[in-house]
Amino acid sequence: MLVSRRSLLQHAIAAAVVPNPLYAQAAGLRIVSLDYGLASTLLSLGLPPVGISDLADWGRWVVEPAMPRSVVDVGSSFEVNFEILIALKPDIILTTPYLDELLPKLQSVTKVVRLEIFTPDSGPILPAAIKATRRLAAELGRQTEGEEFLARSDAFFNACRQRLAAKAVPPVALVNFMDARHARIYSSPGLFHNALERIGVRNAWTKGSNYWGFETIGIEDLSAITDPDARLIAFDPVPADVFPKLAQSPLWNRLAFARPAHLSVLPPALMFGMVNEAMRFAGLLTDLLDKQA
Amino acid sequence: MSRLRRDGIGPALVVLLLLCGGGAASWFLVAPGLWGAADPNYDITRMVLYYSTLPRLATALLAGASLALSGALFQQVLRNPLADPTTLGVSAGANLALVVVSLFLPELLGASRDLVALTGSAIAAAIVLSLGARRGFSPYSLVLSGLVLSLWCGGLSAILTYLNQRYLASLFIWGAGSLAQQSWVIPLSLLWKLAGLAILCILVIRPLSLLDLGESGSTALGIRLARLRLVVIAAAVTLAALVTSAVGVIGFIGLVAPTVARLSGARRSGQLLFWSPLIGAALLFFADSVLQLVAGELGEFLPTGAVTAIFGSPLLLALLPRLKIRHRIQQSPVWERSRRWRPTTSIFIAGTALVLALIIGIVLGRNIDQGWSIVSGEFSSDILAIRIPKVVAALASGALLAVAGSILQRLTGNEMASPEVLGISAGATFGVAIALFAVAPGLLGQLTFAVIGSVTVLAIIFLGSWRSSFAPERVLLTGIALSAMVDAVVGVLSSSGDPRAALLMRWMSGSTYLIDAPIAAFEFGIAIVLIAIAFLARRWLDILPLGPLPSASLGIPLAGARLALFALAGVMTAAATLTVGPLSFVGLMGPHLAREAGLTRALPQMAGAALIGGGLMVAADFVGRTLVSPYQIPAGLVSALIGAPFLMVMMRRRT
Repeated sequence: MLVSRRSLLQHAIAAAVVPNPLYAQAAGLRIVSLDYGLASTLLSLGLPPVGISDLADWGRWVVEPAMPRSVVDVGSSFEVNFEILIALKPDIILTTPYLDELLPKLQSVTKVVRLEIFTPDSGPILPAAIKATRRLAAELGRQTEGEEFLARSDAFFNACRQRLAAKAVPPVALVNFMDARHARIYSSPGLFHNALERIGVRNAWTKGSNYWGFETIGIEDLSAITDPDARLIAFDPVPADVFPKLAQSPLWNRLAFARPAHLSVLPPALMFGMVNEAMRFAGLLTDLLDKQA
Repeated sequence: MSRLRRDGIGPALVVLLLLCGGGAASWFLVAPGLWGAADPNYDITRMVLYYSTLPRLATALLAGASLALSGALFQQVLRNPLADPTTLGVSAGANLALVVVSLFLPELLGASRDLVALTGSAIAAAIVLSLGARRGFSPYSLVLSGLVLSLWCGGLSAILTYLNQRYLASLFIWGAGSLAQQSWVIPLSLLWKLAGLAILCILVIRPLSLLDLGESGSTALGIRLARLRLVVIAAAVTLAALVTSAVGVIGFIGLVAPTVARLSGARRSGQLLFWSPLIGAALLFFADSVLQLVAGELGEFLPTGAVTAIFGSPLLLALLPRLKIRHRIQQSPVWERSRRWRPTTSIFIAGTALVLALIIGIVLGRNIDQGWSIVSGEFSSDILAIRIPKVVAALASGALLAVAGSILQRLTGNEMASPEVLGISAGATFGVAIALFAVAPGLLGQLTFAVIGSVTVLAIIFLGSWRSSFAPERVLLTGIALSAMVDAVVGVLSSSGDPRAALLMRWMSGSTYLIDAPIAAFEFGIAIVLIAIAFLARRWLDILPLGPLPSASLGIPLAGARLALFALAGVMTAAATLTVGPLSFVGLMGPHLAREAGLTRALPQMAGAALIGGGLMVAADFVGRTLVSPYQIPAGLVSALIGAPFLMVMMRRRT
């Protein structure tokens, strides 16, 4: 069965944004999320947040699902603007262990729900994100929507897997370039690594990483990937000077990835996200490999 | 000839020593790549050696030589032992130009990075030199305007980056240059550009050394001074711009290398121009290879520029007592301002402005639709509970800094003295840094450490300048060296990714974000007590500037009074730095404006300065909170951005 990623995801978003307006209104929950992954999960549960942090950079790191226009930016997650936060009259604030420094101040505003996904003992991120999605759904009384969303995501991953099953899919290494000498490479237990496993693509970078799922390496370390078919997938945004500088560098030019068609740049996808971000990544990658194979 | 040879021994020894040190350190970096079986495909250690480590060491040598040559040229042509690309703001100007262009016109950067950097540094040089020209190129005012410009460029680059990325990973004012390389492209291109400029320098050595004869002497020998100066300055600016374009800002090499050359025996222009680049190259080579060795993996992300400031500034401090400053500075008469208004009128105007700033700061804000709104309705009490502590803390710290500045200016007889310029704020920040990283105490403990830090700096200044009776240039240099060092240390700490560094960054940039009611009340209480003490000491502050004799005859215990007042200024600075950081410049602006308004006696000046300083800080906090709402710009950075150009305009007006 061929499922277009785009149509499926659009369907998912449409379902997410206006699933059941009456119920949402009845619930009337005003939620502020200080985490991108939790914010996009809210959309999929049919409870768009009233405000999120770092909204201004949503299009730079997350892109999909699109935030409704009504959502208000509450400032940087490290320096949440409490004047704005209070004026939003939130019933619930969603936060993560990453922002524990702000916890006492947030708790003085309203009820805070703290969800753990990226912690030293949470293990593989995708299962942890699914668990957190269920907890969030339960916390907000949206269990049905939560299960529906998870079923949709399951179906989506299966569809991606099927699209690639018949093809000779190369192993991939996933990076974000930090500068012309360094990259973050994504591996186990990271979100994208789990998504790769889910859609049946091998991660060319076999070494494990920190609990966020990335490791910072020098460009030259990419030579440790010996599979001649392996592809390097870089995510936008790539700093402007990286590719011109790499083109001049023997460190890069002598790598197998410098050969034509062994490097692809994908649009932004958030590796510190939850189920939606894993779906976006899986969709982007499946489209790319499908086209290339 | 034999004299020349004898003079060369010292500098040659220094170069040799640094090269040996650097060579030993870099041997550990290079050795693993030379041995071991070579992998025919892609031998990581060997590839890294050939295309990263070795080009990096070459870049260090070339950049060090260029910066030192640039510094030596500046020092010779401006007859100013303190001039260098860092202290004249030339590197910072180039860096700001690069930041602005990369954010707003990125396609220009591809066309010519060098040209963009050159434009920025030329503009910076033009501003600083035109300000300096009005004061007869006095070394002191030249370097002061250069440093102020550096600070302004650094602050603006930080804010622009922040607005674009919405988080400030680290704040480097004096240097974030990284020597990391991935090919030979940069060192090779730097090599031929440097070679071209070096040839030009050889051509000007002779006419430059004739400048030693003094203006009339060299004119008699047929040297066209104006043209010579222009050529030399252009060469020095170009050198600094090329290095900044290639590797970013690397601080203080251009100041330290010629100083070391001079101290080790190079005296004449030719000798200085010859030895300085060699010492500079060896110095940066040494600094960078030690950095790479010590920092290991982390070293890749540690900007060498910050580390040279850590290396360079203590060296400068150690050398200060030995530095012979040839130029006497015309100390501007501090207490002869024409009275434009009566003191009561001035105070009244300053007070009204402050009340206005307070009302605006408290009442006006941005709402959730990004619009402006006056606080009202159901949440007004909650919002005021957030806003008022910040405004009060800003007010208290601005007033504290301004009064501390007044005291320091009166005591040192130096109208440019202030907690920021003298490095006292930097000392306080350093104290807080130690407190956070070593002991992690509460607010009171942090204040104690800040006081210890600022009083230590004051003691250093006090002891170091005792014999030179507070010669402005010496005090100023101590301050530069200390603030550079603090900035570098904090920068390095925040590069390490330690969460406590984020807290320290907030202090450095002067963010009022964490201030709540208890902190604000505490700050306000301290301000009231300390300012009251300062007011009580008004008689001392009126009489001490008249000199030791009148003071003694009026029965003032000279040493005791000075010590007590210095300590008071130190405690005030420490308390203020806790909220608004070391960069605000309010301690310089407040007393200045008060004097401009005709407040010359101690009590009215301090009162006026407190009102003005407090008002400025409240305004800066307001701008920082509302300009890019819901995001926030630290108040200390805002006030530095407003304060620095203001200061330069004031310096320009004065003739």
